[in-house]
Amino acid sequence: MSEWLESAITRAQNLDDWLAPKRAHALELLAQTKWPTRKTEAWRYTPLRPVERTQAGVVSHDVDLSPEAITGLTAIELVFVNGKFDAAQSTKELPAGLLVSLGRNLDATQQAAALNAFSAIKPERHLFGLVNDALAEDVMIVSVAQGVEIAQPIRISSLLSQGAESHTRVQVSLADGARLTVIEDIQSQGDTLSTAFVEYDIAANAYLEHYRFALQTGSNVAIGGSHFNLSDKSKMHSSIVGFGSDLSRLDTDIIHGGEFADAKLNAIYLLDGKELFDLHATVEHAMPNGTTEENVRCIVADRARAVFNGRIHIHRDAQKTLAALNNRNLLMSDKAEINTKPELEIYADDVRCAHGATVAEIDKQALYYLQTRGVSRSKAQVMLNFGFINELIDLMPNAALAEWVRPIIRERFAQMEVK
Amino acid sequence: MSNTNSLLTIKDLYASVEDKQIIKGLNLDIKPGEVHAIMGPNGAGKSTLGYVLSGRDGYSVDGGSVALAGQDLLEMETEDRARAGLFLAFQYPVEIPGVSNLEFLKASVDAQREARGEEAITSAEFLKEAKIACKQVDLPVSFLKRGVNEGFSGGEKKRNELMQMLLLKPKLCILDETDSGLDIDALQVVAEGVNSQRSADRSFIVVTHYQRLLDYIKPDFVHVLSDGKIVKSGDASLAHELEAQGYAWLQKAPAEDELEG
Repeated sequence: MSEWLESAITRAQNLDDWLAPKRAHALELLAQTKWPTRKTEAWRYTPLRPVERTQAGVVSHDVDLSPEAITGLTAIELVFVNGKFDAAQSTKELPAGLLVSLGRNLDATQQAAALNAFSAIKPERHLFGLVNDALAEDVMIVSVAQGVEIAQPIRISSLLSQGAESHTRVQVSLADGARLTVIEDIQSQGDTLSTAFVEYDIAANAYLEHYRFALQTGSNVAIGGSHFNLSDKSKMHSSIVGFGSDLSRLDTDIIHGGEFADAKLNAIYLLDGKELFDLHATVEHAMPNGTTEENVRCIVADRARAVFNGRIHIHRDAQKTLAALNNRNLLMSDKAEINTKPELEIYADDVRCAHGATVAEIDKQALYYLQTRGVSRSKAQVMLNFGFINELIDLMPNAALAEWVRPIIRERFAQMEVK
Repeated sequence: MSNTNSLLTIKDLYASVEDKQIIKGLNLDIKPGEVHAIMGPNGAGKSTLGYVLSGRDGYSVDGGSVALAGQDLLEMETEDRARAGLFLAFQYPVEIPGVSNLEFLKASVDAQREARGEEAITSAEFLKEAKIACKQVDLPVSFLKRGVNEGFSGGEKKRNELMQMLLLKPKLCILDETDSGLDIDALQVVAEGVNSQRSADRSFIVVTHYQRLLDYIKPDFVHVLSDGKIVKSGDASLAHELEAQGYAWLQKAPAEDELEG
């Protein structure tokens, strides 16, 4: 076991609060877990050295950090600074039908329910999910009442100053027919380590619009997960944008726990330098008549490495499932690396599934078309590469977020080009 | 056949695709302002000609020469041919999701202006021009925001090609089977657009299988392309003749040649 994990366990053992039973369970599991090596399938291409040698630690949260304003976006702000909830920067006036509270401030009944829901959706196999179970000092509870549509998106910002370590945990529940948008955003300054896990319980006929921006770069270690449970006739639309860092790892799990649920997941990542980004996306079709559409696109430049593991598991009873997974990757240098592994496991006989992964160069026909209009080959390549990513930005339902992130990506893209 | 005031001079052109020779000794001379129709059966090499002239990868020239306004076209990169005034309207325009039509049009116009040493046009000015062009080709302005040709119908794609032509103001336009897949209304819109662009210093090669398009775009010359070369040339009436006869007579022609030879 690594020294880092040992010290994390020691720290967790000193915590005592309403989460104690869950923490004890996580610690028990952690004690039985081997520290991943290159032979551990889930971490095969993602070495954990940056975790072992991290200098990040618990630092004061009394620092001057605030979430970036996004033009055209008025959000309900939930701000964490160096892992601690910052009530002063967070929105106090909440619309009717929306509950936002730290678990410790809930009444006994609510707290019991929250404890029950803790790690009910996030699978136990995620090592750092267990670390987060053990080290999270509280859980932010967000819940939308039956039939209520919350017009303003909720933005959960986790801000980290130089050298900070943070373990944030959020539980979101949408009651029957509720509608909500949640934006998860991590912004870190350097040499940080964060685990950030969010669980979403989406009840019947509810709709969740979800964004996760993992735009940390450089010497940040950012590990996290977004985990969703879909009930009957519920829907979710998730957009993930990631840049790479020394170690960026994201696990998503979408569980079709009800019939006729619909999930869309679009993920893009752009890596440069020696960065690494690892996305493990799992979809469990446990019930019939579900649909899933996943698009994952990645551009890797220089000596960066991308990892994608996309698993779709269609259980025996999940008849009439429609699932499609498409992963397309562009390599911009000889030394860039992509490890992609789509996995389809089907145990039902009446389903339609498609999956594919390509590592490719540019679309030659499109390149020729642009050149016939006078656009130079090099400029056309840049346009097409950006278009490859922009196609998924165009699919973001929230226009303000698309308009905000597009120039950020364009700028990063321009930097990738000059190398 | 070559002439100093010709816009395009193709001499004894041979070209192949994947080692298969498609163009076999083609000659053509076009003066500024002329409209030439090239007709012929499927497989004659009609589309190949456009691809060879525009310099598409995989199309190799095995012999002959092509000059556009006195410049050696075959020596140039595809983008430089466009900047020299060549425009190919595609039979099947390419869809490019993620690249907006406006961005694409602006990049094209910018590149060509830059090549001519002209100042860059501002985004606001360009948007104004693009909106006017939209109106001219009867496309809603919202099409500027959409991905290039993404989800456009056949007719919309052809009108989008026409819009590019309006904005780029080329010297020589090759319309590759522009009529394919168009209903009569869409055909009229496209033909009117083309006719509005006819001028003393702009020439057209209208490649088509059917005579129908030539009812709307009246050619000065009609050429019959068969097995990689022009086997017959004439005025607009030749198109009607072909419409009545079909192309079957071409099959016999080589055999007669052989007998004579």
